[in-house]
Order: sequence, then C-alpha cells, then structure tokens
Amino acid sequence: MSAAPPSSTPPVPVTPAKADQVDWAGKHYLVVDDFVGVRQLLRESLRSLGARNIDQASSGGEAMGLLARVRYDVVLCDYNLGEGKNGQQVLEEARVRNLVNPSTVWLMVSAEKSVESVMGAAEHQPDAYLIKPITEGVLLSRLNRVWHKKQVFRMIDQAYAEKDYLRAARLCDAQIEVSKVHELDLLRMKARLMEKSGQPTRAREVYERVLEQREYQWARAGLAKIRLANGEFEQARQAFQGVIAENRYYIDAYDQLALAYQNMGKLEEACAILERAAKLSPNAVLRQRNLGNIALKLDNLPMADKAFRKCVSIGEYSIMKTPDAYLGMARVCGRKSDPKEALQWLLLAQREFGQEHPDIQLRAKITEGLVYHESGDFRRARKAGDELEAMLNASGERPDIPTCLELATLLFAVGVKDAPVELLCYVIRNNHDNPLLLDEVQAIFDKARMQEEGVAMIRASKKEAADLMNQGVLLWKTGKLAEAVAWMRDARKSVPNNQRILFNAAQIMVSHLQQQGYDAALSGEAYEILAHVDYLLPGQQRFAQLMEQLAQLQPAADGSGAATAAPAPS
Amino acid sequence: MDDTPNSQELFLFLASTAHDMKNSISVLSGTLERLLVDTSPETSVQAGSAYPHMAHMLYQTKRLNDNLMQLLALYKQVGKPAYPFDVQPLDLGQLVEQVAAIERVLLQSRGIRLELDYDPGLIWHFDEDLVVGVLSHAINNAIHYTGDRVRLAIRETDGWLELRIEDNGPGYPPALLKAGEIAARGTAGGVNFLTNSTGLGLYFSSEVAKMHRHRGRHGSLRLENGGQYGGGCFILRLP
Repeated sequence: MSAAPPSSTPPVPVTPAKADQVDWAGKHYLVVDDFVGVRQLLRESLRSLGARNIDQASSGGEAMGLLARVRYDVVLCDYNLGEGKNGQQVLEEARVRNLVNPSTVWLMVSAEKSVESVMGAAEHQPDAYLIKPITEGVLLSRLNRVWHKKQVFRMIDQAYAEKDYLRAARLCDAQIEVSKVHELDLLRMKARLMEKSGQPTRAREVYERVLEQREYQWARAGLAKIRLANGEFEQARQAFQGVIAENRYYIDAYDQLALAYQNMGKLEEACAILERAAKLSPNAVLRQRNLGNIALKLDNLPMADKAFRKCVSIGEYSIMKTPDAYLGMARVCGRKSDPKEALQWLLLAQREFGQEHPDIQLRAKITEGLVYHESGDFRRARKAGDELEAMLNASGERPDIPTCLELATLLFAVGVKDAPVELLCYVIRNNHDNPLLLDEVQAIFDKARMQEEGVAMIRASKKEAADLMNQGVLLWKTGKLAEAVAWMRDARKSVPNNQRILFNAAQIMVSHLQQQGYDAALSGEAYEILAHVDYLLPGQQRFAQLMEQLAQLQPAADGSGAATAAPAPS
Repeated sequence: MDDTPNSQELFLFLASTAHDMKNSISVLSGTLERLLVDTSPETSVQAGSAYPHMAHMLYQTKRLNDNLMQLLALYKQVGKPAYPFDVQPLDLGQLVEQVAAIERVLLQSRGIRLELDYDPGLIWHFDEDLVVGVLSHAINNAIHYTGDRVRLAIRETDGWLELRIEDNGPGYPPALLKAGEIAARGTAGGVNFLTNSTGLGLYFSSEVAKMHRHRGRHGSLRLENGGQYGGGCFILRLP
C-alpha cells in the first residue's frame, strides 16, 4: 500500500486528516454487478474520484477470472449476482485462494439490509456492507472509513497471519489506547486472540469488559462459547438461546447451540436447531453438512438426503465444497438399501476431490464397507475390509483420529484382525496422554471381544510413546541440547501426530536457538512442527507461547542479529 | 414473519423484486445527481428551465427510494427480533458525513443550506443503516417544506443522544403533531400514522427509535414546531 505509515512497532494513531490523503485515483478497482446500469453508475462515481483503472464483471465466475489475474486494491461486489456464485462465495474463494491482499478493500453491496451482515460468523466478512443506492459521496466516505480502520488493524492482522497471537494481542491493547472509536472491534479481536492462544479466562475478561459498556450479542456468544469449551453444556445452551432470542439472525449462535446439544447427547434438539439455521441462511456448505451428519445419526433419512444434496448443490459454486456430502449421500443410499447409487456417489467423490484430498480413496472405501455392512451384504463388506487392509499396508499415511476409529470398528466388524489392531496402536502411540481417547479405544477392543489384548496393547503403546518422550527430555535437562534435538527429530518420525512429543520437540529446539544462537534451518523446523500441532488441535496455550518465543528469536530485518535475552541454562 | 411455505415464497419473491427495483432507483437517482452536478443553472442557458425540474425529480426519486426501503424494512418487521438489527459504535463525524453525502446534491439543486451542529468525536451505539435512513428521510422531507435552510443538530443529554432536524418552513400541521404525540407515547402501535404516505415515514422512524434499547430504556420520536428557526422540528432520541 503506497500511503502506509512506516512499519514501526508502536501503534500509530491515525487521524482523519491522514485518511483524507488516500490516493483513491491511483487504485485498481473491480466492480461486480449483474445489472449493467449499476456497473456504469459505479464506474462513473469511481471516475469522478479520479480512478482510471476500473475493471468490471457481470457474474461471480467472471469476477473470479479477473481476481485470479489482477491484484485489486478495491472490490465493489454486489451480493446478489443471479445464477452461479453469489458475492459472499466470490469473497470466500478470493480469500481462501489468496487472490486478494490483506490490504484490499472489499465492499459488499446489496439492495437491502442483509442477514449475512449480522450473522456473527467472524470469518470471511467483507470490510463493509453498503446498501443501494450508493451515491458518490457515500462511496468516498465509506472507502475512507474502511481504509482508516485497516490502518488501525494492519500490524495486528499481520501478527495474526503469522500466528503470533500474543504479539497481536499486545498490539490490540496498544491501539485501544489511541483509537477510541475502534475500541470494541479491537476488544473483539483481542478476545478471539486469547481464545486462539488457549487462555479462555482472559478472553472472558475481555467479553465482560465489553458487556459493561453495552449489551453486545457477540460478547454474550463469546462467553457462551467459553462455557461450551469448558464442558458447561447446560449453561452454554441457555446463553446461546438468550442470544438467539435477542437477535434471531445471529446464526453463529445456532451452530454453537447445536454443538452444545450434541455434547449433551440431545441429537434431536441439535438437528432441529440446525434445521432452523439452515432455513435462515441456507447457503452455508458446512452447516448443511453438519445437519446431514446429525440427521444420518438419527436415521432421519429424508432430512439427511435433503441436507447432503443441498450441500452438494451449493458446493458447486463454493470454495467450501466438501467430500463429506458425497460420502454422506452414499451412506443415505446404503441405508435405503440402494448400494448401487451409493457406489455412484463414491465414484463421484473420488473424481471431484481426487486432487485436493489425497485420502479420498481410503475414505470412499471405508464408506463402501459401511454401506455393504449396513445393508447386510457381508461378503462384499469383507471384501472392502480386505481392500482397506491392503491400502493401509501399502501406505504409511494414516487418516485423522476419528476416521481411524471408524475404520478400526468397521474392520473388526467385517472380520479383519491385524489391520485394526495396528491402527489402534497407532492411535494410542500418538495420543498416549489422552485418557478419554484411550477409553474409546478400549471400548472398540471390548466390542471386538479382545478386551485383554486391548489392555495389553494400550499399556505397551503408551509406554513406547512415554519412553520416547522421557529420553528426549532427559537429554535436554542434562544439557545435551544437540543430542536432545536429534532424539526428538527421530521421535517425531516414529510418532508424527503426538502433540506432547511435538510440543516438547519444538520446546527443545527453541532452547537450542536461545542458547546456541539463531539458526534458520532449526527455526524453520520448529515452525513446521508447531504448524502441525496447530493443525491437529488449534487453540492451545503452549502453541501461542512457543510461537511468540520463536518470533522473538528471529533476527531483525536490518541484520542486527537475533534478539538477546536467552535464559540462563538451568 | 411465520415460516409457512407460502410466506417464505412470497418473501423470496419480494426480495428479488426489491433487488430489481433498487437497481432501477439507483440508476435513476445516480443519473439525476450526475446531470444536476454537470449542469448548474448559471453555466447553461437552456438548462435553466430544466434544472428545477430535475431537482424535483431527484426529490421524488429519493422519496420513492425511502418509501420502498421503509416498506421492505417493515415487512421484515423492524422493531421485532426478526429484523437483522445491527448496533455498532460510530462517531458522529462518520454519521453526519454519510447523511450529508446522501443529501448534498438535492440540497444544492434546491438552493437550501444544511447547517450542522454536532461533536464529530462523540461515539454512540446504533444501527447505522437504520438511523441514516431515518435522518435522510427527515431531511428530504424538510427540504420539501422549508424556506431556505435545514439544521441537523446532535447532542448528548443525560445519557441520551438527541438528533434534531429543524427547518424554517411553516411547521408541521396540527394533525401530524398529534400523530407524533401518539408515537411518543408508543401505545397506539402507530395505526394513526398510516392515514397518509407521510405516515409511513413517521411510523418507520418511531419503530427504529423504539428498537434501540439500552439498560431498560428505548429510543423515541417527537415532532414539534419551533426550534432555532421556528419551523418544523423532527427529534429522534436514542439511549
């Protein structure tokens, strides 16, 4: 951005006078509207701001084509674009595919106040919603306002993108001091950062501070989410219902309320609330998927069918498109004793998602096994089981934990023995300190009439992982840093998804960097490990702390060497 | 709105029709504004006679837009939890800038001066789209009835934000003042407003006012004659 202030760490109070200096003439604009008259009108308005580079698109598809080729400074996009993608889907896809810069101003235009503008989902919001008709003066004043706000959030957004949540939170505090009008937005961001860095108590303090000022439903919903994460399901349920009673269009509260019901084992209620949410805001792919999954669990086949089909059809225009809907449709067909159509959905899933989802073959095969198993075709179910075993043997890769458990259950049920045992041992080795999960694994062994073998397997696998970790920590504590790093590197190879071990590996690498000096390769390795833990389970406090320590170890851009303050070896 | 399939269908139909009408109105008012800016009565002789007509067309177009917006909002049940009500903090500088930007060309074309009296740094919490809609509608109305000026004055008193729109015209007729009193009491559900088209705007505005709630208090709307210019005063109070 040409007019950006110098990138110093202390916050720069942005005065309105500065906003007036924005060079709107030199920016590159994209106008998206299906109505040619409105496009021309907006183009004229932009021209009178001095703008010379103005591109136009009449549909979502055309807009995507332009966004893929050109980096725009400002996008004016109508929400309603007729057939094909709507404005929100264009925005989501542009953000997910990184086709717009963080500095890009995105204004969503609509004919009237849209439900989407108050849904409460923080992700992929435009910078502002404008209601037609848009006069030249309104356009300029909103552009200036958004630009001004982006300046306030620039450093915070950057720290956020680097996942240095604690630095981002400190920057929020500093900005609150100097820009009163953005105080609530800054507090909202700070609360989110505290949640992301595993500090719900501090997030709660922020929400309570907001509520002292005004009754903001996002703060109420924030408090409820903390209760939900805390396992206080009944209190969370009441709080989310309160939010919905105050603002029927706060859709995020519906999704969270459904989650609370699910945790309370009340699937009927969860299903009903998602159905209501899907009526108010029908074009969210993931909500339709969740609704389909719950309906399937309840054996409500008509609803599951409807939700999965809707999920597939809106996915056609959405970057959020998911294979889950196709696999779900296959399950629905299986329950309806139509394995032939089920197989067609599975083929379709593999064709549509073969590229972005390398595990789709395995997941399709699992679903195939489930379909045959549920429809009572034991011969074909066993055949699918054997094929799954062969797939597992051929590849060292293992799917995520819920899929592993589902797969092991299926394999036992169809009579395969070795593959599920190996799979469950893998699960334990990578989660040796998660007692709830160990209980689940034991239950699967019990169901397969392998109770005693299960107990022994769990004990052995747990010990294996604990030994790996303890040896590494021992080397570290006795000051053998280089050996500790090497040991943890190997440990990570044999248990790639054990969060405890991954955190300790990163911790030991950070100590190495602090005591032996900065090393780009080692720092990169630590970042890679942390990115993986965050992928496995986001929002952990230790992740935030280690990310902050690593960032502080980066040499300054002017080459003055790594930050000092290495703690004394203990 | 209930969730029967019929009302859902009607709603979708209305929404898409409204979308279309809004596009037409956008083009209409945008084109008129451009024409008015490009042809000032002094510079072009032949534009001289067309100019006041265009100014009047712009006024009527804005009225059409206001009415459409109000009808739609009321259909979506402003005042009930069913409306996508969205309160945000905003400084008055931004609020007034919006309103002034919307009214600029119409004021200029009618030769009317908008006087502003407010603290640009004061921050208040409200639904910006609704309040901007109410204020610009009230100013459009004042433009039609005033002599040569309109005043927008905003101040904070005892925890309330008072927004006044005053003009130096003949003032509100008694029937409208009475309707305003009923609105202030908030009892009659606004039925009396709906006897003429001005009523729709007042009814909408008082619903918007009531929707703003804070610590057990809610906003209100009042009409009176007098004020700094001795004409009509439209007074919106928000908690």
